[in-house]
Amino acid sequence: MKKTINIPLGSQHISLLEPVRFKFECENEKIVGVDSDVGFVHRGVEKACTTRFKYDAVGYVVARVCGLCAITHSLSYTVAIEQLLDVEVSKKAKYLRVLLLELDRIHSHMLCLSHTCESAGFEAMFMRIMGDRELIMEIQELLTGNRIQFDYISIGGVNRDISLETAKKIVNSLDIVKQKVLGYIDEFTNNWSLSLKFKGIGALTLDEAYRFNAIGPLARASGLHIDVRNEIEYLPYKELGFKMQTHTDGDINARNIIRLNEILNSLEMCNNILAGVPEGEIVVKSKGKPSGESLVRFEAPRGELMYFVKGNATAMLDRVRIKTPTFSSIPAFSHIFMGENYADAPAILASFDPCLSCTAK
Amino acid sequence: MRKIKVALENIVDEIKDFYDYKLWHFLTINGVALEDNKLEVQWIFSKYEALDDVMVYYVECDYKDLIPSVVEIIPSAIISQREIIDMFGVKVEGSEKGLYLDEDSLQAPLSGCSI
Amino acid sequence: MFSLNKYRKKSPWILHYNAGSCNGCDIEILACLSPKYDLERFGVINTGNPKQSDIFLVTGPVTFRSRERLIELYTQMPEPKVVVAVGSCTCTGGVFRDMYNVEDGIDIYIPVDVYIPGCAASPELIIDGVVQALDILEKKTKEMEIPFKLFKEATTKKGITSRRESALKIGENDEKN
Repeated sequence: MKKTINIPLGSQHISLLEPVRFKFECENEKIVGVDSDVGFVHRGVEKACTTRFKYDAVGYVVARVCGLCAITHSLSYTVAIEQLLDVEVSKKAKYLRVLLLELDRIHSHMLCLSHTCESAGFEAMFMRIMGDRELIMEIQELLTGNRIQFDYISIGGVNRDISLETAKKIVNSLDIVKQKVLGYIDEFTNNWSLSLKFKGIGALTLDEAYRFNAIGPLARASGLHIDVRNEIEYLPYKELGFKMQTHTDGDINARNIIRLNEILNSLEMCNNILAGVPEGEIVVKSKGKPSGESLVRFEAPRGELMYFVKGNATAMLDRVRIKTPTFSSIPAFSHIFMGENYADAPAILASFDPCLSCTAK
Repeated sequence: MRKIKVALENIVDEIKDFYDYKLWHFLTINGVALEDNKLEVQWIFSKYEALDDVMVYYVECDYKDLIPSVVEIIPSAIISQREIIDMFGVKVEGSEKGLYLDEDSLQAPLSGCSI
Repeated sequence: MFSLNKYRKKSPWILHYNAGSCNGCDIEILACLSPKYDLERFGVINTGNPKQSDIFLVTGPVTFRSRERLIELYTQMPEPKVVVAVGSCTCTGGVFRDMYNVEDGIDIYIPVDVYIPGCAASPELIIDGVVQALDILEKKTKEMEIPFKLFKEATTKKGITSRRESALKIGENDEKN
């Protein structure tokens, strides 16, 4: 007699924003086997980057790989091209790039936290965080003109300047956000019903994190010191006060705490940038066509993002390889599900903060 | 970015000698279509907590060649291997196709030539 | 008597499906349901069950693997139903047009009632689109209530009998009676 039952999750499910299908093999309540299908969103961006668009337009195309970390995608691609063209970007443009990168990280982490709460059945917290997230979205609209997909980064710099009044408004909003985030930290650490849903569930040990090459908040929650912001010198993260956040538990609660602490750190960095935006041009003109190979890594909200660009001295590129964070975390995801209760699966999945449109490109 | 060229038959041994899972972070497997129906396959690693230290092992091979699997050394490489099968139409030991592409999709879209 | 039709307009339920979009429109839909924009003041609620929903929000240019799911979800929804295409790529393919694994827009597969442009479509536009969809839903409900066989002959096109055509439009005069 067959003792296990197969329960599917997806491709369309209330707790999923995007189509992904997991097939759980369950023994009573316990998950003993996981099969995943992540290819629902495959569109063929990599091919289009080398056949349909010229190199100066690709930066706006790759932003459409993912709406949540669009800025990291366009930044990584642009930096790769700038390395091939030998363009030196002004310090002001670099600061503005970090500002947008960190604002994007804040709103993405807030979305993930609210979604984790919703999956655990805490609807009020979902509404609260989503409501406060609008403050960050307003800042982004103020800075770039659009809420999402803001095509802010161009080859050689950024597309819009920041005025003194905007900076003042942003600082005020960031202060409000900081107070709200401190409130969440209290809620996430002290709320008893949330601890029942989050503590000790979906744990990944440090050794497993090494073995499965986990990245982003997932790895840092297990105590693995990996953060690309610490491993690149291109952006001035050191002088802006970047601190790596790590935790040792590796469960859902640890991931939430990591995200909350990272929001606080990002807010601090944003404030540091706004306190002293350097003088200078925002765009430097570039000449020539890209040739050669370059490999660029950046820290997206979900982990490490890698771009490999190969040019051949014409307007069309030879190869654009996009390695997205969720793509390399899928083996770790599947491993974490083993031995957990099926009822916890949506909350565990939400705590990974998966981005399937990144994964499948 | 340091690049080291390896022969196709030696790649697994080379990576086995090199890869220490607490020192090196495995990024991905990448393929680049070259001229004359050749393919460059890269295994990309980065060092934990080091500044811009990226190591690339690469081989040049034909589309017909069987690319050896590194899953026994690096368990998370399985998804990269499945991707390279779909995108380039090559064969990789012990991995099946169908991660992204359906039956009626364009097969091997990035290969740069018809196979 | 309890009338379902009266309440359908007051609380339509939304089904959301991502057919290959970049997430941008999806998080804007989520933002619509959150306190600032608050689509729920129209009685709208997001549900995961196609059999209980009235408005179908689709994002993304249909990718090859999501075609079957899209049609499956559409057919499982009960009549009357309204389809809203959210975002440029859902309407026409947008930036993904002519990529090898996408179909250009969802209207190749299912009939669309409201098109919302924008990359990403802003919450104001989405609310506007959903409010328009409510009107269409009401109109469709009224159309359904009319016993269409009584008014006109069924038309035949290419050997297929269509009763949709024979329905009396709202405000149209009844010729037979």
